[in-house]
Amino acid sequence: MSSRGMNAFALSGRLLLRQGRSGALGLLAAGLIVATAALVAVSQFTDRVGRALEREAGEALAADLIVTGRERIDSEIIEQARAMGLDTSEVILMSTAVFVGDDSMLIDVKGVSEGYPLRGQLLLADRLGGEEQPFVGIPERGQAWMEPRGLRYLDADTGDMTDLGTRELTISRSLVFEPDRGGSRFMLAPRMMVNLADLLDSELLGPGARARYRLLVAGAEGDVDAFRRWLDPRLDEAELGTITVRDAEDQTGLALTQARRFLGIAALTTVILAAVAILLSALRFASAQRDLVALLKSFGATGNQVMAALSLMLLWLVLVAVIIGGLAGLGAQAMIAEILADGPAGALPPPRLAPVLGGGLFTLLLAAGFALPPLINLRQVPPMRILNRSLDNRIGLSRLLWLLPIAGALAIPVFQLGHTRLALIVLGGSAVLALALALFGWLAMIFTRLLSRRSTAAWRFGLAGLHRRRGAGIVQVTALGLGLMALLLLMIVRAELLEQWRGSLPPDTPDHFLVNIQPDQVDAVQDELIRVGARNLQVRPMANVNLVASSGELQRDERMAGQINLSWIDRLPPANEVIAGEFFAPDATGEVSLADMWAQRLGVELGDELTFESGARRFTATVTSIREVDWNSFNVNFFVLLTPDAGELLPHQYIASFYLADGDGSVLRPLSRTWPNVSVIDVGAIIARIGEIIDRVSSAAQVVFLFTLLAGLVVLLAALEATRDERRHESALIRTLGADNPMVRRGLLIEYGIMAVIAALLATLGSAITGWLLARELFDFAYQPSLRLFVTGFAASVVLVVGSGWLGNRSVLSTPPVRILRTG
Amino acid sequence: MGFSVQAPGGQLDILKDINLSLNEAETLAIVGASGSGKTTLLGLLAGLERPTTGEVWLAGEHLNRLDENARARLRRRRVGFVFQSFHLLPSLTALENVMLALEIAGLDRPRERATRALEQVGLSHRMAHYPRQMSGGEQQRVAIARAFAGDPAVLFADEPTGNLDRNTGESVARLLFDINREHGTALVLVTHDLNLARRCGRIEEIEDGSLVSGQDGAQGETGRERFRLVDKG
Repeated sequence: MSSRGMNAFALSGRLLLRQGRSGALGLLAAGLIVATAALVAVSQFTDRVGRALEREAGEALAADLIVTGRERIDSEIIEQARAMGLDTSEVILMSTAVFVGDDSMLIDVKGVSEGYPLRGQLLLADRLGGEEQPFVGIPERGQAWMEPRGLRYLDADTGDMTDLGTRELTISRSLVFEPDRGGSRFMLAPRMMVNLADLLDSELLGPGARARYRLLVAGAEGDVDAFRRWLDPRLDEAELGTITVRDAEDQTGLALTQARRFLGIAALTTVILAAVAILLSALRFASAQRDLVALLKSFGATGNQVMAALSLMLLWLVLVAVIIGGLAGLGAQAMIAEILADGPAGALPPPRLAPVLGGGLFTLLLAAGFALPPLINLRQVPPMRILNRSLDNRIGLSRLLWLLPIAGALAIPVFQLGHTRLALIVLGGSAVLALALALFGWLAMIFTRLLSRRSTAAWRFGLAGLHRRRGAGIVQVTALGLGLMALLLLMIVRAELLEQWRGSLPPDTPDHFLVNIQPDQVDAVQDELIRVGARNLQVRPMANVNLVASSGELQRDERMAGQINLSWIDRLPPANEVIAGEFFAPDATGEVSLADMWAQRLGVELGDELTFESGARRFTATVTSIREVDWNSFNVNFFVLLTPDAGELLPHQYIASFYLADGDGSVLRPLSRTWPNVSVIDVGAIIARIGEIIDRVSSAAQVVFLFTLLAGLVVLLAALEATRDERRHESALIRTLGADNPMVRRGLLIEYGIMAVIAALLATLGSAITGWLLARELFDFAYQPSLRLFVTGFAASVVLVVGSGWLGNRSVLSTPPVRILRTG
Repeated sequence: MGFSVQAPGGQLDILKDINLSLNEAETLAIVGASGSGKTTLLGLLAGLERPTTGEVWLAGEHLNRLDENARARLRRRRVGFVFQSFHLLPSLTALENVMLALEIAGLDRPRERATRALEQVGLSHRMAHYPRQMSGGEQQRVAIARAFAGDPAVLFADEPTGNLDRNTGESVARLLFDINREHGTALVLVTHDLNLARRCGRIEEIEDGSLVSGQDGAQGETGRERFRLVDKG
């Protein structure tokens, strides 16, 4: 090591120890710690939730991959999967009628083999309405587990006997939850789960039986991929298909994705705030080091040595901050995981080191971007300053050095990969706000300058205070505004966005569906539903057709191929928005309207002519509109809508959706007895689960918000601290001139008050706009900022700024005026 | 009168056994080496601090009995200050700097008075200029205008020429004595500059916190007592 290096090392250590107690270095450290903590907490949590989500998606399948077929899956395939180290389980699904006593009904039988479910967990109860408990295992031979609604319709409970083909089975448990039922909310009949061997022995699976055969496969990601590569070329020949987790989109997954975005916003805001705090405190720290640097230089230190020492000192500081912040972040994410533990994500996968390292590295980047430039700038302090302090009067950042913070800011979305859009919204919002704040700050300085000419001493002192710290004042207003905006944004998110998100599932969201209503039953069924108190009732026709041709080029998409359920209607249904073309005119004929997702996947465009086939009937319709459909609305929605003329000629049935205040659905029993063909589907559980996710996510988000709040406070402090020395000097001066405490206090209040009003006004506006943008772009709902928020947000901001300015400047008031004599 | 502070090694007496009084329109120079206690004495005389022993009277008021705010109110009417490094507010023009002091004192027609004071120090053409646009001498003249515009009883000047070259310093000094003569303002100068000190009616030398000698300067005039330091110890 060279002697120069030695000096720099020793000097950097001494600098850190000696300056450790100075306010500026403390704030710099606080900014770095808060940034690290927030980053580590959120990235760790996001990582764990991300992995949990994949697992959750796996749970929706009860496997990582499902091989489907019309016959039993070949044992060669099963053996291959096992040979590749994968777990397997065989499942056979079919519909059949079962009897309990004299009651009979159509049920969906699921025969499962050992190992089921490979992912997720079964919830069972000892009897109808009994306490549900997780269960590992499958029905023993001779036993059946039946879903509660099946038990209710059959007036049965555990202990009753039922039959399955030639087999007699005892209903031994109530089947509350099976993981791979998720998403299939249109499962027509209640479930009965049996041992695979019983189903195979039941003689129900003879020729012509419409059974669906599945092989569930699960294992390490690489093994599953390898198996898939082996399997793919054999699928067509064996007439097999596959289902993967990617096909299993469901609402809970969507809610968790939104939760991640949500926490992402909090983390980003924290990082932006921390960056501002770091920059402000580094500027102040650097300015306090000018005498020292001048002294070192006059003793013969070179600019490079000074720079090396300061950079090393920053590095030590970052290391300390990364350790403290990393621990705090790990603690916080453990809290978040605890909150979510028995919630949507289940027990989260264990933490990994990578996100911690990532957080630490990013803090280093933040420090390099926001704290290093002011320190590097100290190189330029002339040694002559030691003789004449006015020489460097105030060193601003040289232009080139500003590139570092800008690069740092741009690195944020890169780091937050996967959230780029979100990062850009938050970052862009902050940048626009920062510019607006700087502009208004500057205008306010000019205005107060004019105003101060026509005012009295306290006002003149206060206003002049603003004006004489023009540069610092603009930075202060900007920083305060940003800090306030972040805090208000959190307030919006906490108080309103979450509330409205929760409200985005209205209380009368349909929780029941009736399917397979025949045309001649519609009126009577509808009357019955109204009688039992169904609300928000919608009844829609539905026909099953094949898409056979298009005038344009069709992309074959496996997910969309084959039969389509479509409907017809003469006006735009709720939860639909036309995004291209125009919806059917009142007397339009021969037209078709498509959901955008469906149109995109098949490559269909406006003006294309689609030909459908239903039995012997063929018809052609022109695409005249593309719709965006809110699939989360729980309304009955269709990818394809026809004009009524085309649809009414097709063989069809009806489907009804409605909300039933009475949750247990027993009032519907007479209905299903009168019309046995009609099936009732209860999706209340899914809706309740989404509500639960939203609740838990809001609690978890608060932990992250705590860091954002801390970062906001550090910014406020750093901003106020930035001019404290100057303020202290000035107040001592005017007190020497005879100003008493009330006068100095008034002056300070005026100065802070004006800054607070500008910052609060812009921050309130900025947060409302950003909140609205976030809600629209990311959470898919229209957020309405409330007047109450404006008023309380504004008032709270003013109080916060004036209050903290006040507290931070108490020392200004207690500075003895004699100090002015001592400063020369 | 005395003044001491608690230092890590025990009590540190900065000033001890000081007995001093100043009459109306009198001029007094306080000289002494660095660290001898000159500035502390100035702060005590002007009511910026209170003595730890003894009493200070300023313009008939017993300063020991006045709290910080009451002393501030006394200062704004009775005391003017000139500092070595001027201490003008950089964001205010020359005129506004002078007006600020008058407004703090609550005097009427501050603009008129400030204008007159600046004219008197020969800066009528610089009123709208900011401190950074003025030379050191000019800044000090603004500070002098600020100090006497409110017609104080005593003007305290702490090394008023310390930051100025010889010629400029000379003109600033002349200005101070002119004001003393024309307005009857008592003048207390703290200085290293013996030439400047000798122009005062009286010179007090301070050494290790005590007055070692009192000598008459050029003027030696007396009048109504402006302040008095009494040593009761």
